[in-house]
Amino acid sequence: MASVIVEKLVKKYGDLEVLHSIDLDVEDGQFVVLLGPSGCGKSTLLRTIAGLESSTSGDISIGDRLVNGVHPKDRNIAMVFQNYALYAHMKVRDNMAFSMQLSKTPKARIEERVNWAASILSLEPYLDRYPKELSGGQRQRVAMGRAIVRDPDVFLFDEPLSNLDAKLRVQMRTEIKELHQRLKTTTVYVTHDQIEAMTMADIVVIMRDGHIEQMGTPMEIYDNPSNLFVAEFIGSPGMNLLKGKIVQEGDKMVCQVNELFLPLPDRLDATVGQEVLYGIRPEHLIPSENGLKATISVVEPTGPETHLFCHLSGHDVCAISRERMNWKADEVVSLEPIVDYVHVFDAQTDQAVKRKT
Amino acid sequence: MESSRFSIFARYVLSIVIVALFVFPIAWFALTSIKPISAIFDKDGVVVFDFVPTYENYRVTLFGQQSIDVSENSRSDFGTSGGNSYDGRGSIISSLIVAIGSTILATGIGILAAYGLSRLRFRGSQGMLHWILSQRFLPPIAIIIPMVFIFRDLGLRDTHLGLIIAHTLINVPIAVLLMKSFIDDIPRDIDEAAMIDGATRLQVFWKVIMPMAKGGMAATAVLCFIFSWTEFLLSLFLTSSIRTIPVKITTFVTSTGSEWGYISALGTSAIIPGFIFILLVQNHLVRGLTMGAIKD
Repeated sequence: MASVIVEKLVKKYGDLEVLHSIDLDVEDGQFVVLLGPSGCGKSTLLRTIAGLESSTSGDISIGDRLVNGVHPKDRNIAMVFQNYALYAHMKVRDNMAFSMQLSKTPKARIEERVNWAASILSLEPYLDRYPKELSGGQRQRVAMGRAIVRDPDVFLFDEPLSNLDAKLRVQMRTEIKELHQRLKTTTVYVTHDQIEAMTMADIVVIMRDGHIEQMGTPMEIYDNPSNLFVAEFIGSPGMNLLKGKIVQEGDKMVCQVNELFLPLPDRLDATVGQEVLYGIRPEHLIPSENGLKATISVVEPTGPETHLFCHLSGHDVCAISRERMNWKADEVVSLEPIVDYVHVFDAQTDQAVKRKT
Repeated sequence: MESSRFSIFARYVLSIVIVALFVFPIAWFALTSIKPISAIFDKDGVVVFDFVPTYENYRVTLFGQQSIDVSENSRSDFGTSGGNSYDGRGSIISSLIVAIGSTILATGIGILAAYGLSRLRFRGSQGMLHWILSQRFLPPIAIIIPMVFIFRDLGLRDTHLGLIIAHTLINVPIAVLLMKSFIDDIPRDIDEAAMIDGATRLQVFWKVIMPMAKGGMAATAVLCFIFSWTEFLLSLFLTSSIRTIPVKITTFVTSTGSEWGYISALGTSAIIPGFIFILLVQNHLVRGLTMGAIKD
């Protein structure tokens, strides 16, 4: 096990810079998820850590060792690929044993490790099968078995679940997390699925266009998105964002959105007249008697909760309620934002407007 | 229902006709090889099955008997002195040496080049691909004269090695292109997974890519073998004492006549090694060897 430290990492393809001076610190035993839309550079960052891509400048250390220019085989890392990348001509047993066979590990030790990995991943009955005789989930497990079998310093996962169907994905998500809790191996995991990131990560790193936008625990990021991109990217259904302006009302500042005056949290570091985006997550916009009048357009019951899509003063908003009310489309509902959970973003810079301390 | 039954019937008839069309020449050729000369050239018409089979032609071409010994006709004025000029055994051995040698060489060089072109990024790799392909645009006859002189100066003329090299030269471009497409079908992730597992580039190639590209190598080997086995022009120019089967067969056409019996006997025999070779490799000629490696 080891930490992974990335310092001022730049990656260019010709003139195109895809990673702009990335700094990332993964502590020993941490599960870090790199999250972002496709093309944000998260896979490139992972592949650079793996040594499959060379960096243009900057340093990568695994443990205490600087690994710039070190061949992937000498980094003591294991990687799980999106498309499994199994050796089709080898049985499951040999797929898992391959790395140890290359390192000339004694046969008895290989046998022991393969059986250990197989038992953890429930692969024992399949050890003598070929990959083509396995289902997608089983293949993914073999790919993971290949990674854990030799006790690497770091696990790298490159969107390992995106080829599985929805149900299997949820199951494997739990299995990977369980595995991490058991082995406590430092893990860097790439995904574009924010639910995966939220559920699995110790630390989520949100990337866009080769920059790290925000880094923190899943709940920190959810509760305090540092900018508009993060706020929009995390959460499903997404955060409601209403375009408005800060105005003074009595001794308080409020946000004027068209004809509505929306309450703002105390001690907000904003100025009167500032153009802002008023953000409120659907679950913090609750049906209440003395709220804002909105017209329901669509009602989506999901079971545990009901999503109400409404028109509110020219904006489409979503509210989530756990109450089982018999809402119907075209009805008027009264919604109240919980003021403590209101996020305000500057309309020019897209940065979150912080509270004064 | 009736129309579909008719269409099934029509399909069968059509396939039988097509197969018959392709098989007929070979069958006729084989049939000729066991006919006595009187049945091959019958003045009253074409003899199909109405003859007494003879193995004379095979005895001469494959077992080296003097043609006079088994001859019923008067051939005594030809081919009796100085041994049997219809003995094909040496040719078969020469053809086998050349075909197997050049197949191994072309497939071996081809797979290495194909892996390099498929996986390594280097300046001009695309241009190199076109250049390799362009080698096939040239008709062999265009290069034959200089080749004869070069091979003579190198001491390669009229040697098995020389012919192996010549056939390899012709086969390598097609081998590279064919196997490159097979290797291109194997995702790079597999190489990368193997490298992370601790393999060097060479180990990746040897232990992972080559076994997975086995089908492509088998297909390529079949094509190279068949080319070399049937190649005539280069063999004719580059050898004089060594005679591969195609060249040998042409010597059966002489100023005094064409020995159709011997031609067909050696020709029919020549089909067999190629056939055996294909049978041996056909197990590997299945597509989808990469099945299961990745999510399809």
